[in-house]
Amino acid sequence: MTQESILSVRDLHVEFETNDGMVHAVRGIDLDVKPGETVAIVGESGSGKSQTTMALMGLLASNGRARGSATYRGQELIGLSERKLNRIRGEKITMIFQEPMTSLDPLYRIGRQIAEPLVFHRGMSRKAARERVIELLELVGIPDPARRVDAYPHELSGGQRQRVMIAMALANDPDMLIADEPTTALDVTIQAQILALLAELQRKLGMAIVFITHDLGIVRRFADRVYVMRYGEVVEEGETSVLFDTPKHPYTMELLAAEPTGRKAPPPLEAPILLEGRDVEVVFGGGGGWFSGPEAEIRAVDRISVALHKGQTIGVVGESGSGKSTLGRALLRLLPSEGTVRFEGADISAADKRAMRPMRKELQLVFQDPFGSLSPRMTIGQVVTEGLKVHEPQLPARERDRRAIEALDEVGLDPAMRNRYPHEFSGGQRQRIAIARAMILKPKVVVLDEPTSALDRSVQKQIVDLLRDLQKAHDLSYLFISHDLAVVRAMADHIVVMKQGRIVEEGPTDAIFDHPREAYTQALMAAAIDGTPFRQQTGAFAAGLID
Amino acid sequence: MSNTTLEQASGPREPLVAGRSLGQDAWLRLRRNRAAVASAVVLLLLALAGIVGPWIHAHPYDRIYPQYVRAPASLEAYPKEDAIVPAFESALGRARVDIGEIELSGSTVRAPVSDDEALDPRIVRYIDRSDLFSNARLEDEEGNEMMEGATSAFMVADVQRLRFVFGTDANGRDLLTRILIGIRISLAIGVLASMMALLLGVTYGAIAGYLGGRVDNLMMRVVDVLYSLPFIFFVILLVVFFGRNFVLIFIAIGCTEWLDMARIVRGQTLTIKRQEYVQAAEALGVSDAGIVRRHIIPNALGPVVVFVTLLVPKAILLESLLSFLGLGVQEPLTSLGLLIAEGAANMRGAAWLLIYPAVTLTAILFALNFLGDGLRDALDPKDR
Repeated sequence: MTQESILSVRDLHVEFETNDGMVHAVRGIDLDVKPGETVAIVGESGSGKSQTTMALMGLLASNGRARGSATYRGQELIGLSERKLNRIRGEKITMIFQEPMTSLDPLYRIGRQIAEPLVFHRGMSRKAARERVIELLELVGIPDPARRVDAYPHELSGGQRQRVMIAMALANDPDMLIADEPTTALDVTIQAQILALLAELQRKLGMAIVFITHDLGIVRRFADRVYVMRYGEVVEEGETSVLFDTPKHPYTMELLAAEPTGRKAPPPLEAPILLEGRDVEVVFGGGGGWFSGPEAEIRAVDRISVALHKGQTIGVVGESGSGKSTLGRALLRLLPSEGTVRFEGADISAADKRAMRPMRKELQLVFQDPFGSLSPRMTIGQVVTEGLKVHEPQLPARERDRRAIEALDEVGLDPAMRNRYPHEFSGGQRQRIAIARAMILKPKVVVLDEPTSALDRSVQKQIVDLLRDLQKAHDLSYLFISHDLAVVRAMADHIVVMKQGRIVEEGPTDAIFDHPREAYTQALMAAAIDGTPFRQQTGAFAAGLID
Repeated sequence: MSNTTLEQASGPREPLVAGRSLGQDAWLRLRRNRAAVASAVVLLLLALAGIVGPWIHAHPYDRIYPQYVRAPASLEAYPKEDAIVPAFESALGRARVDIGEIELSGSTVRAPVSDDEALDPRIVRYIDRSDLFSNARLEDEEGNEMMEGATSAFMVADVQRLRFVFGTDANGRDLLTRILIGIRISLAIGVLASMMALLLGVTYGAIAGYLGGRVDNLMMRVVDVLYSLPFIFFVILLVVFFGRNFVLIFIAIGCTEWLDMARIVRGQTLTIKRQEYVQAAEALGVSDAGIVRRHIIPNALGPVVVFVTLLVPKAILLESLLSFLGLGVQEPLTSLGLLIAEGAANMRGAAWLLIYPAVTLTAILFALNFLGDGLRDALDPKDR
């Protein structure tokens, strides 16, 4: 590591002017990237890690300002004119973003979009550019590139779109690739493929990668050096192995310890079955409008049987589109479904809305998105007590208020805040509010639909602990839906693995994690738990296992 | 960054912390928008003038002053000094008595009158009948009341000074009062029609959007059918059936404008319906009516409020159109549209008849549109 750095950042500040005054997002950081190196910037949301790279690329929002210095091969980037900057960004330094669904323009064929930087920066002819695009698509492992070059973005899956984004970034043989959480929106197996692809491309092309993420698991397997950021400052930096083995800063230690730990013991064998679904089937589509023809049906849940015992937590895992959320909603009778659903022995599969209402008190649901699951126009006091108004309408207002205080206390929120509105709370706090809303009714079964997926690791751990404490205190039964295997392992005592609406494998948690039988489960486990660095994996894995 | 993190604040039990709702946030943003605040003030003043003005203003809106037909706008009081003597003379001329020299002192006119027979005291009516004079009386030389049977006396009358700040119209009615009444009627129609559209549209749209499926399909096809009715034709039909009536106008406007509202609210509802907080309410067992009332409508209200502020000027314009065509408000009541129509007819000779109502209407429309824009900016969640 005696080489000159290609990017060196010195005392970089980023400030945003907002209605509530100046917000200092990045407070004077130093950063170096050497050729061919993978540098990870790790931090939780709001730590300023994305704004740092946005400042380098001149992509700050209009109310943002950058101070300090950032030099790329001796060329100062901060304050560079748009025209000069354009000669560097998109050619020497390129970027891929988190959201592969929105970073491609849906109106243009992907070939045209990849060719854009070639034509623009190199003055290639359209025809030559097309040749190069096909070559690039092959490089990033898109099958049948000669045909796919004319596809529109919506014809590709999420993983393929991210591959296209990578092809676009590679088009001009950049020196440096900035990847801003490139795999966060993807399923674990696809995430592993994309990361392996990036590692392989780096080996082939020798560019430097700046990798921004909140996921330490990825960093450990992917990066050479790590910068840990918090509140706009770099709190620790170092070689990956050194930093992971001997972290010095307490925040780094906290981050490393944030992986949820512990195992849940299964309930006693004689525990009664609370909620049971037999041959549950949910079909979407069909019908259509007055003038449209018959629509293709999608079998989201295909004859699935589960039985949830008292005090049990069933973890439902699977990739997006595997039907796990649909299953949870069908079991709560929030979706029309076929098959039988029994709650405490009574068949509720034919119950209509009115008949279900008294049972709603016992069957609760917590959602993934703590921003979308609370009505922005209600105070959290109103949010929490809404269920009481339905199920115990005779309750006087004062008693309702007392119950709200109790529920908020239980989830670790200050009840004095109950006149505030949801937008005044952080993501973790909102998830606590959503949990309080479910818990105030004293339910017996709670379906947790990815309750921790939208949260930072350290907050995730708190929520997992909270959920476990609540389960112990109230003898709750959980159906825990998640794609995050680490969390599922800590929460569940029984695992159901789903793929395309079917159960692939199920069994006790340890058995599934330690000895997965099905190939799909094995791939899932390998992608999530395996600690081998991506660079040592075979190239075939990167290119071959196309989603 | 308005979401202050409260993570650290969960220490000892404090008194209740008041929150800042989205509405209050929007209000703060609106207050910072000068154009919107100015518009709101202008609107408030105009509305106040429309409501209170006609009561305290000197001229009733339907009082006709035959002597002052199309009097130009002026800050001076009528009658003008040089018009008093000839007017007095011509009024007195009808009494068929001999008239001496007319003298004007301050606000009284005085002229010796004599006749061969005894003077009939009823001749004062000829003077009183004129809008220029009041309190006409016959006096003797000392200023006492005229003796009965006298053949000569002084006809004395007070000059009645009237102010027509905006002039008078072709029938001799004060334009200012008529504009004030016009503001009252136009704003009333605008607000009432919008409220009607709001009520109908929000309920209809929210129900259609929330229930979805076949019900939604059917309800929105009804809207489509109503959309295809030509507005003017519809109003003419209504007028033919029910006669011209103030209530009818805002019903007609409300009936056509709620269609847009229903579509907007339905669209909003469709997105809100998929929000997780609505699903959460369903999982809590909240009834359909409760979900629509507590979740859908409050959350759809942002765009609706904006649309209403833009709907009010639209309704006012439609009313003006109807009145302009003679289908609207009936004389002697008036509206700004009607006043403009009259003004347009008298444009060449009496431009003020067109200018003042037009300026007023423009001011109202500008203010409403600025306010609507301000509200849209304030309520736009993307700005957060």
